[in-house]
Amino acid sequence: MTEGALVWGIASLLFLVGFVGLILRRQILAMLLCLELMVNAANLPLAYYARYWGSADAIAAIFVILAVAACEAVIGLSLILALYRKERAIDSDQITELRG
Amino acid sequence: VTAPLSTAVLALIAAAGAIGAVFAVLMLAQRSLYASAICLLVTLTQVGAIFYLLGFQLLAFLQVLIYAGAVMVLLVEAVMAAPPRLEDRFSRLSVPKPIAAAAPLALLLELVAWGVLGAPAQAVPTISAPQSAKLAAILFGRFAPLTEAVGLLILLAALAVVETSKPGYQE
Repeated sequence: MTEGALVWGIASLLFLVGFVGLILRRQILAMLLCLELMVNAANLPLAYYARYWGSADAIAAIFVILAVAACEAVIGLSLILALYRKERAIDSDQITELRG
Repeated sequence: VTAPLSTAVLALIAAAGAIGAVFAVLMLAQRSLYASAICLLVTLTQVGAIFYLLGFQLLAFLQVLIYAGAVMVLLVEAVMAAPPRLEDRFSRLSVPKPIAAAAPLALLLELVAWGVLGAPAQAVPTISAPQSAKLAAILFGRFAPLTEAVGLLILLAALAVVETSKPGYQE
């Protein structure tokens, strides 16, 4: 097995597990966990191609993705906690209102 | 195109990927969010190990620092900070025994394989100093507006957290 196939296989598997979890689980926090897994899986092929082509551009892109994903996690968690406290909502099905 | 990885490194990548995938599936199977978070922690650590094995030590360091460290602490904090009414459902701070045993065992096996298949420092390709300089030149050269935007986003995220944690926001 070539290294490309190996890295793509691992990344696809992790992405698929994250995607299935995102669809199947209804708890908002669990959905955020699955999203984090998907972002990480997407970084793996980027790292592989960065190595394969000796390109620093892809590594720079991964740095940016890491920072954006960390921001997403921080904002997502604070919103989830605020929702718990305000709406007592624990599942995504329970959040049905959008208020300005 | 760079030289292909050695068989030892490929085997280590496969092992890290397999452990990561197993714990990702275990993450889905857990009812307790705390247990799910612990399983995700193992998977994220394995992703960091793959980064390292591909020759990106700095990336692996950041992966462990940001994801396996900061983000996971935030997640556990969020599980613990759930309202008292929901404590039974969300804040059961216990990991099922099989997972609690499997996580360190998997990491131990990985370390043994690491030692048997070869010293990582010799087997893993490293980023040369010129490549690090090139990366810095890209981030603060062509990617400078993007880097600035990400910095601004981090600031906005911090402000958003402060805003959403105010009592008035939650009433």
